[in-house]
Amino acid sequence: MSTSTPVTRTRPVGSGAAGRLVAAELRLVLREPLVLAFVFAFPVITVLVIAGAFAADDAGFDGMDPAQWYVSSYLAVVIAAVGLVMVPVHVAAYRERGVLRRFAAAGFPRWSFALASGTVGVALTLAGCVVLLAFAAPVYGLPPLHRPALVAAGVLVGAVAMTGIGLLIGCLVPSARAAQGIGLLAFFPSFLLGGGGPPPTVLGPGVRSVANLLPLTHVTESIRDPWLGTGSGGADLAVVAGFLVASALGWWRAVRL
Amino acid sequence: MTALVEVRGLRKAYGGRLVVDGVDLDVDEGEIVGLLGANGAGKTTTVECLQGLRRADGGTVRVLGLDPAVDGTALRTLVGSQQQDSALPDRLRVGEAVQLFRRPGSPRPDGLLAAFGLDGKRRTAFSALSGGQRQRLFLVLALLNRPRLVVLDELTQGLDPAARRDVWAAVRALRDAGSTVLLVTHFMDEAEALCDRVVVLRDGRVIDAGTPRELVDRNAPWATVRFSWPADRPWPRQPGVHEVRRDGGALEVHGDRGMVAYVCAELVRQGRVPEDLVVVMPDLEAALVGLLSEEVAA
Repeated sequence: MSTSTPVTRTRPVGSGAAGRLVAAELRLVLREPLVLAFVFAFPVITVLVIAGAFAADDAGFDGMDPAQWYVSSYLAVVIAAVGLVMVPVHVAAYRERGVLRRFAAAGFPRWSFALASGTVGVALTLAGCVVLLAFAAPVYGLPPLHRPALVAAGVLVGAVAMTGIGLLIGCLVPSARAAQGIGLLAFFPSFLLGGGGPPPTVLGPGVRSVANLLPLTHVTESIRDPWLGTGSGGADLAVVAGFLVASALGWWRAVRL
Repeated sequence: MTALVEVRGLRKAYGGRLVVDGVDLDVDEGEIVGLLGANGAGKTTTVECLQGLRRADGGTVRVLGLDPAVDGTALRTLVGSQQQDSALPDRLRVGEAVQLFRRPGSPRPDGLLAAFGLDGKRRTAFSALSGGQRQRLFLVLALLNRPRLVVLDELTQGLDPAARRDVWAAVRALRDAGSTVLLVTHFMDEAEALCDRVVVLRDGRVIDAGTPRELVDRNAPWATVRFSWPADRPWPRQPGVHEVRRDGGALEVHGDRGMVAYVCAELVRQGRVPEDLVVVMPDLEAALVGLLSEEVAA
């Protein structure tokens, strides 16, 4: 005859496990070739090429130095590389291979993976920005920061919003391959039209109106305008904040994984 | 004995399709209980409900005194778990995996890693481990925090025979150390080799339960005796014999277990004790194949 086991009292779980998961994820993400290529190498190489491709007095940049224009714009390219390519592939791969189920079965709170992915996304974005500026500065110099607080807000809000969009893609697609395909499909038009490609003044009206619909365009302008002093970027920051709220759906979905 | 797992009338449906239909299950402290059944029998869904990874649609579940639907996260910190079809990140090294899954205050993992032959693999990435090494790592992770209950779901799926034997030895070591194990498998030889008790599921329902010996006795109470015998020499009628088959110079006698004694006595009486005498007793697989066939017929 069996007797029931007494109710087991446990210590609260969560924060310790989440901390270990964040630390592990930070380590792992730096071993991913896709991350190293897309987040660190791609923005550096492209900015070094494109920032030197225009004459200093090129009319397409509203009187701005093209090199400074691109250096300040390319922080958004790093943000997009993390949010639209790295995060979706990472989340989808974990879902596909049952890594998340293993974490859940081991007692990691369901929100801990979302927290870890978000933290890794933002940390990686900041690291990518530092690397980008470290390579661009000796070649083109760094433009003077006119409104550093607004620039920082643009980077942070943009990084969180884009990471949320990445989480949403990673949660919805069936496989890592699909996430990579959709992520690249979202990344390259955003990159070309939203700040990393030709200046908006040379785009036709139709293409420019498409560019204005892209989240990355507003992320770029919310960083570049206060940096170069061509505006506060407030309206764009508000739009990005709107995307952040929408991307909360991604975070919420990730928490429920 | 103390029941670590108590399940009564567990029900779970996916999109209107009932996959677990009124399952009762008890696991007492210190025993290895096998949840056995074909693919799709509802085994994995049952253990996922026990761990709070899925919410049951009906019935009551208590694991270590906790309700998984309410205290799932807390419960999962007390249960060591090996999940079917799950993995670790490819580039996570063995030592890092241990660091990630080990909670503060848990014993140092050195002994476990050594016991499971992974001490020299601490810097090896998960993707570089063989199938057997991966399963042994999952066992180490399941045991890291001294769980009172270990749930192992299809632990040896996809392993070669040698790796399966390694993992079986590891599970036996768990039993020797006093752990309580709920083993989910569709390999009947695995259940027979490892389990103290077996619960057989089919279409989400328990169709039989007991020790492997009890299941065999209940569902396959027969034996076969095979030996050389002259083709022109008749074999007498004997109690408990259901069928006598001749195959050239060999005779095969099939019937109740007790007939083995009569057959052997007859061989001695006739002074013809053959050197190739073989007595075949049914194993769990033979017993349950019959049981499942009866269910299909019903």
